[in-house]
Amino acid sequence: MIEIFVNDQSLHVNEGVLLIEALIQNRIDIPYFCYHEALGMDGNCRMCMVGIEGQKRPQIACDTIVKAGMRVHTTGERIEDVRRRILELELVNHPVDCPICDQAGECKLQDFYMDYGLYDSAVSKGEKVHGAKHVDLGANVMLDQERCVLCARCTRFTCNITKTHELGIIGRGDHARISTMPGRKLSNPYAMNVVDLCPVGALTSKDFRFAQRVWFLSSTPSVCHSCAKGCNIFIDHNAPKYQKERIYRFRPRRNDAVNGHFICDAGRLSYKSLNDHRLTCNNPDAMDRAKALIQAAHNIALLVDANLYCEQLDALVAFAQRIGAQLYCPNQCYYDEGFGDEWLRRPWRAANLAHINTLGITQSTPSEAHDLIISFNHPDLSSLTCKHKIAFSTHEGVEADVVLALRSWAEEAGTLINITA
Amino acid sequence: MRDARIVSRRFELPQSHTLEVARAHGAYTRLSEAFDKTPSELIEIIDQSGLRGKGGGGAGAGEKWKLMLPHDPRPKYLAVNCDESEPGTFKDRQIITKDPHLLIEGIILTCYAIGARAAYIYIRGEYRAHQQILQAAIDEAEAAGLLHVKGAPLLITVHRGAGAYICGEKSALLESMEGKRGHPRLKPKQKECEWYFGNPTLVNNVETIASVPFILYEGAAAYRSFGTEKSPGTLLFALSGHVQRPGVYEAEFGTSMMAYIEHFGGGIRKGKKLKAVIPGGASTAVLTAQEALEACLDYESMQSLYSALGTGGMIVMDEDTDMVLALKNLLEFYRHESCGQCTPCREGTGLADTLLSRVLEGHGNTGDIDKLLELASTMDGQTICVFAPAVAIVIRGFLLKFRSEFEARMHA
Amino acid sequence: MFTFTPQNLQKIEALKSRYPSPNALALPLLWMVQEQEGTISLEAMEAAAPFCDLPPIELYRIATFYTMFKLAPTGRHHIQLCKTLSCALCGKAEILAHLQERLGIGVGEMTPDGRFSLEQVECLGSCGTAPVMQINDVNFENLTPKKIDEILKALS
Repeated sequence: MIEIFVNDQSLHVNEGVLLIEALIQNRIDIPYFCYHEALGMDGNCRMCMVGIEGQKRPQIACDTIVKAGMRVHTTGERIEDVRRRILELELVNHPVDCPICDQAGECKLQDFYMDYGLYDSAVSKGEKVHGAKHVDLGANVMLDQERCVLCARCTRFTCNITKTHELGIIGRGDHARISTMPGRKLSNPYAMNVVDLCPVGALTSKDFRFAQRVWFLSSTPSVCHSCAKGCNIFIDHNAPKYQKERIYRFRPRRNDAVNGHFICDAGRLSYKSLNDHRLTCNNPDAMDRAKALIQAAHNIALLVDANLYCEQLDALVAFAQRIGAQLYCPNQCYYDEGFGDEWLRRPWRAANLAHINTLGITQSTPSEAHDLIISFNHPDLSSLTCKHKIAFSTHEGVEADVVLALRSWAEEAGTLINITA
Repeated sequence: MRDARIVSRRFELPQSHTLEVARAHGAYTRLSEAFDKTPSELIEIIDQSGLRGKGGGGAGAGEKWKLMLPHDPRPKYLAVNCDESEPGTFKDRQIITKDPHLLIEGIILTCYAIGARAAYIYIRGEYRAHQQILQAAIDEAEAAGLLHVKGAPLLITVHRGAGAYICGEKSALLESMEGKRGHPRLKPKQKECEWYFGNPTLVNNVETIASVPFILYEGAAAYRSFGTEKSPGTLLFALSGHVQRPGVYEAEFGTSMMAYIEHFGGGIRKGKKLKAVIPGGASTAVLTAQEALEACLDYESMQSLYSALGTGGMIVMDEDTDMVLALKNLLEFYRHESCGQCTPCREGTGLADTLLSRVLEGHGNTGDIDKLLELASTMDGQTICVFAPAVAIVIRGFLLKFRSEFEARMHA
Repeated sequence: MFTFTPQNLQKIEALKSRYPSPNALALPLLWMVQEQEGTISLEAMEAAAPFCDLPPIELYRIATFYTMFKLAPTGRHHIQLCKTLSCALCGKAEILAHLQERLGIGVGEMTPDGRFSLEQVECLGSCGTAPVMQINDVNFENLTPKKIDEILKALS
């Protein structure tokens, strides 16, 4: 650890880190477009200007390594003036139409304008360089070239992270723009991360755009259930007037031990199944009928879904003992070899298989000797034959003697054990 | 005016580009003299000579050569900058077409000194015909068994650019040579050599390398007998614009600008009066006629006039020149050539051009001059390379020195 | 389908040995494509990419960065008139007007028979012999309207 001084405040930071990292980690305001913790520095936006004592000119914090005793200023008339003027140039060819832009509310350009700009923009009067407004890049990603600030985050993502090389900056000078190779599409299982990476409204999700203003959304931290990896996410949800609570999108939530800054597109879009065809209420006599079936049964199988939380599974173990049932979690329905990859996607497509293993629950199909199966949301219930079935389910469409509504994982709190390998 | 032909000595000979003629007039005849010395002795001579890079920046060549650390185990490279895209500059093409063997000899010597066994000449794409002459000379030299460094084979490859001014910037040049867009690289915090695919590399301008044989054979003192203390030697200065005889003429540093224009250029065309001179390629601050009278063609004189020697390519403008149009012309150039990487440059060059367009369309007002000057200061010193600062210099030069012409175009 | 000619394939092999990485072949490959085909098609970029070990998008980015690479067809005689300061000071405007009148086309246009196309370009590095233009790879310097007439006549 070394000591540096930012705005005369002493900070202890790791040796060798970039100044911008030190500032971000210590929650010191610094504007930037091109730097990203997962992508590193690029030095093109020139927004992260700071004053460093002993240096004649303002320096960009993303291209500065911290040095012991370094004295840095992130505020002050001179620095703010430089930032204000660079920001003004950013707006030369950027439409000033935040009210109709889908990024409004989570746009860095808008934020920095509120922080540093607030001028009568003399630059907007001139003829702007026009670009294509609605380019369907593929993979649910829409590009508005005019809103782009050419920070190159998206191109660095496809170049350095996914190494799929779909996106690039083409052209030159103020006619430079983001593009795919004409005739080719953005297509990789992680493509939609570019929407989160884009600091402005240039890349938007076809799935989310214009669905909801972001300031109406509440974000709840959660964990994706799309596979065993356990990528950390935010669930962005809202209850529109006179409607039920709906989930509008999943976004990656940073966890360096699991998923870093990213999630896969399949996981990202898996929110949809939590909104539709939900089972929300029970028949008034459902509980009584279930009770009767349990009491009448001689040999009960209790089927549990590997997406249930540890607490739920533990409770079900106790319940099984109480009613003398045998526990099962047939696992073949969770295995999807084609889904797995070297990065975030695991072939086991359930969130809590590790705990199923720990509990020693049988992972094969129940024997035919059972005269009653009670399923807790197991996806494969329909393929099993049994005299009687009771289904606790989050969704409609389950065939059983008695069907009872279950809350979805997004509506419950609990613990999951992921499989990172 | 004293004859000071070092690089252009063989230019006037018939068939000077051929090996036969070059050899008959001394080319490649003294290589063994240099090979008898150690590489570090040669670098020391270059350092002593005070040779400064002739591509525009004027950095000390010896200092740069010393950054090529002899014990580095990685392969070393020489990249010769023949991108020559600075408006008003057309001197390197004289060397590669009139005495390519002088350049090749310089490359052999330089590679020996820095320990390189491969050299690349990055030539601008537009110089197709000139490239063919250069390539023929390399082929001739190779066939004659001359391409070696003290017996070790030396590979000289001509690498053709494809139309990008910024590739004259040394790190953009290397990016381009690595098969990328010509985006300048972020500058290191300490002094170090350049890197080509991660290997130590020296980048020098054609004329710099072409000066090397004379210095190494005749000695540092002989080179220093030309020019001034801080600007030793000679330069292929060039004249274009409103002069009688535009062209490239070698002269020693320290020569009076007006004497040069009179002596070589035959003065201003059609008996007109001088209005302004851009002294060293478009990116140096324009001088008024009064300043041109005081100016000498060396680094220190230009610095004292708050301009720069640059490439030594003078663009001469007579009394009838419309300075607003002249600036507009240059701003269009910079807008077209900005690589687009950094915000201040990408957007600033475009905005400057747009603002001046508005003035020319009759929609300007006096505030636009200040707007342009403020824009110049935003572009100055905030970017990865010196492209945007150069544009700032150009804008300031024209606006501050010829302000009344701009004001005359404005509506109050 | 684009393929390099056998001569070019040979040239590529020879070039490979001259550089520390095949990536360096990007510009030489695009030049070869252009010399072979006249323009650089997307298909050709896809075909050339493996030779320099780069993804096709990189070649596309390069092709759109360097102004001499032609992604669209030009006339058989592609006239590029220098518009930068020294040429402008020495009568470029007059030359341009004359060219436009003689060819009956504007800047960025092609004659209907496809013989000529006209473009203005930035500094060609021939400021001492301004005004200058390039037709394909050949420089024409110290232009005057009369000289333009002679050049165009010789090309007809």
